[in-house]
Formats: sequence, C-alpha cells, structure tokens
Amino acid sequence: MILIASHPPRLPKEKSVSMSWMIDVAHVTYTYPNTERPALESISFQVPPGQFVALLGPTSAGKSTLCYCLNGVVPRLFGGEMKGKVVVAGLDTYEHEIPVLAQHVGLVLQNARSQLFNVTVLSEVAFGCENLGMPPEEIRQRVTEALALTELHGLEDRQPSTLSGGQQQRVAIACVLAMRPDLLVLDEPTSELDPLGSEQVMKIVARLNRELGKTILLVTHDTDFVARFADRVLVLYQGHLVEDNTPRNVFTNQTLLQQYRIRPPQVCEITFELLSRGTPVTQMPITIDEAVEVFKRLEKDGQ
Amino acid sequence: MATSAFIPANTFLHRLDARSKLIALLTILAIAMILDHPVYILGLLGIVLFSWLAARLPLNFLGNIFKYFSGIALLIFCIQLFFYPGEIYLLHLSRPIPLIGFSGYISLEGVLYGLALILRLIVILTIAPLLVMTTPLSELMLALVKFKIPYRFAFILTTAMSLLPSIQNRAELIQQAQLCRGVADFEQGNLILRLRASASLLIPLILGAFRDSQTLEVAISSRAFGAPVQRTYLLETHLRPVDYSLIMASGLLLLFSLWIRWG
Amino acid sequence: MANKELIVVQDVCYTYPNGVEALRGVNLVINKGDFCAIVGQNGSGKTTLAKHFNGLLKPTQGNVWVEGYNTTQCRVSEMSRLVGYVFQNPDDMLFCSTVEEEIAFGLRMLRFTKEEINHRVENVLELLKLQGLRTQHPFALSLGDRQRVAVACVLSLAPEIFVFDEPTTGQDHLGALSIMSVIQELHTKGCTIVIITHDMRLVAEYASRVIVMNRGQSIIDAPPAVAFKNYNFLEELSLRPPQVTQLATLLGHDEHAILNTKDFCNWLSSRIKPNVQNQTSEA
Repeated sequence: MILIASHPPRLPKEKSVSMSWMIDVAHVTYTYPNTERPALESISFQVPPGQFVALLGPTSAGKSTLCYCLNGVVPRLFGGEMKGKVVVAGLDTYEHEIPVLAQHVGLVLQNARSQLFNVTVLSEVAFGCENLGMPPEEIRQRVTEALALTELHGLEDRQPSTLSGGQQQRVAIACVLAMRPDLLVLDEPTSELDPLGSEQVMKIVARLNRELGKTILLVTHDTDFVARFADRVLVLYQGHLVEDNTPRNVFTNQTLLQQYRIRPPQVCEITFELLSRGTPVTQMPITIDEAVEVFKRLEKDGQ
Repeated sequence: MATSAFIPANTFLHRLDARSKLIALLTILAIAMILDHPVYILGLLGIVLFSWLAARLPLNFLGNIFKYFSGIALLIFCIQLFFYPGEIYLLHLSRPIPLIGFSGYISLEGVLYGLALILRLIVILTIAPLLVMTTPLSELMLALVKFKIPYRFAFILTTAMSLLPSIQNRAELIQQAQLCRGVADFEQGNLILRLRASASLLIPLILGAFRDSQTLEVAISSRAFGAPVQRTYLLETHLRPVDYSLIMASGLLLLFSLWIRWG
Repeated sequence: MANKELIVVQDVCYTYPNGVEALRGVNLVINKGDFCAIVGQNGSGKTTLAKHFNGLLKPTQGNVWVEGYNTTQCRVSEMSRLVGYVFQNPDDMLFCSTVEEEIAFGLRMLRFTKEEINHRVENVLELLKLQGLRTQHPFALSLGDRQRVAVACVLSLAPEIFVFDEPTTGQDHLGALSIMSVIQELHTKGCTIVIITHDMRLVAEYASRVIVMNRGQSIIDAPPAVAFKNYNFLEELSLRPPQVTQLATLLGHDEHAILNTKDFCNWLSSRIKPNVQNQTSEA
C-alpha cells in the first residue's frame, strides 16, 4: 500500500559559478501593486559571505520589503513593479524560483505564531525539506541538526502553538536552517517576544554567525544587541538606503540617529549627555563593557 | 493557549493508520445511510460509542454534542411522527390536514423512521470527532494524499483545521477589546445596534485572518512550498495487519448491509 | 486625595478553563495617581492580572474591588467607564471607516446623547492630537496613529484608571515615544496608569512603581529605584534593568538604582568633577 515507493529526484541545490558577494543588490526600485510611491528606491549594497549585517530604520521604511526581495518573495509572490537586480548566493532572483532560492536564503518573519502551522515541531521543521523532495533519512538528519542548533531537542513532538514565544521563534529559525541556507534573513524576530525569549533567539543568531559562519541580515530595533554583534549597519529611511557604516560610526553620530529616528544603546545617550555638559569624553563606548572601561578611565584620569 | 482537536493517547484507535480509520468512518457513514431500521443504526451507534470509550476521549464532549443537538433531534423526530405516511396506525389524532401534509395519525413507520433519522444524525455527529481526536492532522493529511487527493488541497484542508483554534482565540480577544470600549452585549439592543456590534467583532476578525493568511503565504513559500519536484514525507505510515483487518471488516459490513437492504 | 485606594486585589487566584493556573494568590492595592508598571516573562500572569482590573476576568478565588465595586457583580461594559483597558494590537478593535466614527462608536453603543457624543469626540481628538486625522480611514494610518485612535476610543468613556497592555510592542522609537507621551499626559491630568511592558528602560523612565510577576505571584512591588537596585535577582528572571542602572552598579554605585541618563551623568560628574577642577586650577 506504500504509494510512493522510490524517491524521485529532489530539487537540486543550484551552485553559482563564482561568488564574491553573498548579497548583491544593484539599483533596486520596487513598487507594490496598487500603490504609487515605491517601497524601495534605488537600493544598492553588497554583503560578503560571513558578515553580520543589521538593518535599522523606523516602521514602514521598507525593511520587510527589502527582506522579501532577498528570497524572491518580492516580486514573485506580491507582484508589483521591480527594477534593478538582486543576486543572492550567486543566484539572480529573477532567474530562479523561490524554492530554489530557499536553499540559500532562510527567511524568518516577525510573528512566530502565524508562520507555524504544523501539528508537531518535527513536522514543522521537516516541511521545507519535504517540499524539496529529500529522502526521509536525510530529512531526519537535517531536522535533528537544525533542532540541535536552535537548542530545541526534546521538543520534537510538541505542538508549536503550545510553546513559549521564544521557543516558537526558534522553531521558525530551525525550519529554515533545515534547508541549510548560507544566508539568514530575520525580520524583527524578537519584536513580539519577552526579554527571555529575545535573549534565547539573539543568542542563537549570534552563534550561527560566529560558529557556523552564516551570513546574517537582521532587522531589529534592539540596538544593544547590534552594538555587540553586528559587523555593519544599514539604515533604511522612507525606502532609501541612507547609511551604510559600522555600528560604532552609526551609534556615535547623534545627528544621524535623530534624523532617522534610531534609538542608540543607552551608553551612547550617556556619552552624548556628558559631551553636551562639556565632560571630556574622548572615546565613545557602544557597549556596556566598553562603557565601564571608558568611564573608569575618565574617573581615574581626573586624579 | 489553544490546541488542535487531537487528543494524544496510546490506544488501539490512536495506533491505527489514518487510512484505515478513514475507510472505517466512511463505511459506517455509508451503512447509516443504507440501512433505515433504527435497530441497525443503534448497533452502529454502539460501535461508535464503544470506540469513544476505547480511545479514552472526553465523555463531556459527547455530552455537549447531545445537549446542543437534542432540540434539533426532537424537532426532526416530531416532524416524522406527524407527517410520515405509514400503514400501521398507532394513534389517531384528527382528520388529515392535506394543506400542511399532516396525515392525522401517528404510524409505526413514522416512529421508526423518526428514530432512524435521529440516530443517523447522532452517528454522523459523533463519528467525525472520533477520527479527528485520535489522528494527528499531519497523519490525516498523509492519508488524504495517499488517497490521491492533491497535496495542495490536503494541505489547505488540514492547515485550515489546525488554524481554527487560533481564530477562536482571536475572536475572544476582539470581543474583549470591544467590551472595553463600551460595546455592551452582542445579543442585546435593537437590530441596528446588534448588527453594528457584530460588525465590530467580524471586521477585525476577517481582516486579521486575511493578514495572517498573507504571512502564512510568505512563510510557506520561503520554505519551498510548491517546489517543482515530487514531495516526500518524513513520516511514512504503514498499514499493519490490524489495519488490513479493519478495512476488511468494513468491507464485509458494507456488503452485509447492502444485502440486508436490497438482498 | 493621597492614597485613595482605587483597585484592591485580595488573595486572587485564577485558573483558566483549560486548567492553567495563571494567578496564585495575588494581593495588591493600586492608589489614585499611581503610575504602575507590571513586568515579568510571558506566562507569568501579567495580562491575566490586568484583565481582573476591569472585570474581563473574574477571580476563581479571592476578590477584586474597583472604586468600591466588587468586579464579580459588575458587567465589563459598566466597568469600562471606570477602567479603560487598551489592548496591545489596535487592529483587534478598529473597524469603522473614519477616525471620528470609530471614537463615537462605543459612546453610541452606551446610548449617550448626540450632543454628549460630539462633545466627547471633540475633546478626545484634541487631547490626542488627532484632529487632522478625523476623516481618515483608521486602516490607512500608521501603527502609531492607529494605537492612538485605539486609546481615543477608550478615553472617550472618560475612565479614571487606564490599563495599557504592551503599548510599545512592535513600535519604532518614535511611535513608542508618541504613545508614552500620551500616557504621560493622562497621568499628569490625574489619571491612574497601569502599564504592562517588557521594556525596562520605559519602566525606569516613567513608572513610579514596578510590580514584578513570576509564576502567578507578585514577587516585587516597589519603586523602580528600589526594585532595580539588586538586579542579580531580576537577571535570574531575565529582566535586565536599563544600561544606565547596570553601568552605575558596575562602576560602584550602591545606593538606590540610577534610572535615567541625566541622573547617571550627575552622579558620574560628581565623581570626576573635583579632579577636573583640580586640573583646571593647576593649569
């Protein structure tokens, strides 16, 4: 009675010929259907493999749209008009279907609850690999691996909706990890989580970058985390890429932060306040550890 | 907080393959339609109720089904009682009133037919939960796919079922939110007020479901849904001897009932 | 006026129909003029507790009194005039085709007179600076503005106490600031505020009192300066005080916790000032 006796060929993982950039976005302008103003306007940037990039900006700046561009959901699923070129892991998103891109780009969305729909964590995480037609033994192996990376072992048989928010979002990450992508795009993965859940998720994101060398594009408002882990910050404002710099240069530039409504880590606000009072702060800390060092020296230098 | 209808347990019914359960369910439904003597249908109901007990499913749920549908059942019974044109008179009431179809007497056939209808209704109402509560949706989907129902359709069906509890949760939340802005009661006041009150519940609910379905579409696409290859399944289900026995028994029972009816 | 008890929660336990024990013996009093923040992880009972403040949930055990009324004996629609509850997601509430209609809707349902409705709608539009958006479709507004319309709907019933469930979740910096300034203004006008949040920076900057919930119990109830003082304990619950507080402690500040940038700078300056002055005098 086994109807699928042998396994037909799975969707092969396309390999690019040469790849110097993990993400290569060139002059992208995109307008959603039935709207006039473009959601993204002439966006260009490149990301080398292994880099941790944070994407900042106020709501409706186009951050989600940019994420959707990277795995072909825009414009393939949404329609609308797109100009320019997006090449991810060496694959042009115009030429390749979303399922092909899914093996290179893992997209994790903001709302954990509405992206999970299976009955068990196991079937949830296996879903992508099943769609790609992988043999069950390989799926099992990949699922085990993905659950280990997201520290979810032992929860295989749980129903996703009964898990905590942090666990649910980790399941969502495991779901794309099972397809072994080189690039992870996370669209505000912690904005609806409690502090414990956020911490669990961010810890895993940082480790995927540092230990496994995954390229990360993270949309977030959590600048404390960005200051600690990101290599680079992109700022999107009203559909334009207005800044592309290191976290340090972004978080210590008060004019820029105010102009684009970004709240820096609080230690940066302290420094701005001290500077405005004429206290001679020569070095601008962006993390707590740096701040302890800088302010201790500031106290000592006086003596 | 919501969970799907599936109630995990390790009983005989839980261990059966979804396909054999589906076949057994369809068989019992078919027999309930084929046979029209209440005694036979009572027998079917016996099988269903025994299965509820065997699968250790909550009996209060069964009680609720009876509670909610007893009114309708009574109504159906009465209609048959008064309007079924039988031959064996039990009770003469009045002269026939042809205009509304009242025959003027209660016949044995009417009683029996009424009983059969009610019992049929109960069988239908109690057997569907029996399947859904003992079978994880993923297995149910697999069974549908193996019955050659297209994956897309099976996916939509089972996903919709799995999302029902969360829609219910949201409806509750919206109702609370509306209560907090002064929407007093959804069943009080004049018609216009009541209509507006239900609009305040329905519009956010529908828009929310629409937004969620968009998110879901992005989520499943990002996870290679609809890749141009034949899909595989991590969970492979196998029919075991008990499943074959159940399917065989269902077939025999079906033949037997056909023989009773027309043989 | 001082210490007028508005909400009294006495030995309250609450168990959801599915058997989850969300509250296990909570006791607290909310006084007039409080700006109270309820913090804790998801599942700690914050929202369940707050929903008792306007009778959305009735205690399984114990009692809740709001302005002297026992909530078990009141309907939510009556309570909504005493306690305004603003849900996290404005989209769970908004459904009319203009902002004006949206605000008037609740008042209409409560059968206010036409003049009274107009009067209140005008007041609320002005207070929340929504006059410019009155004929706009609520769905066409930004999340921040939709949130303000949702507040307006609740505010139109003129309650004395407000409960905000995670008002800044999902908002950007500006959106969060704008909603917090509205809340701040309500507080200045004499309203009592209860806010559920995960944002410790917000707690430190606005609240006069913080209630930490853990496993259905209130385990800390103190002003933020006291509650955040010994933050190792909070850290066990993954509730990390804002960076200023942490930084001050790491630099050896051991009195009441420092809660905002200004206080931190004052404190730090006091530690370096004499030396800086020395330097200048030597020069």
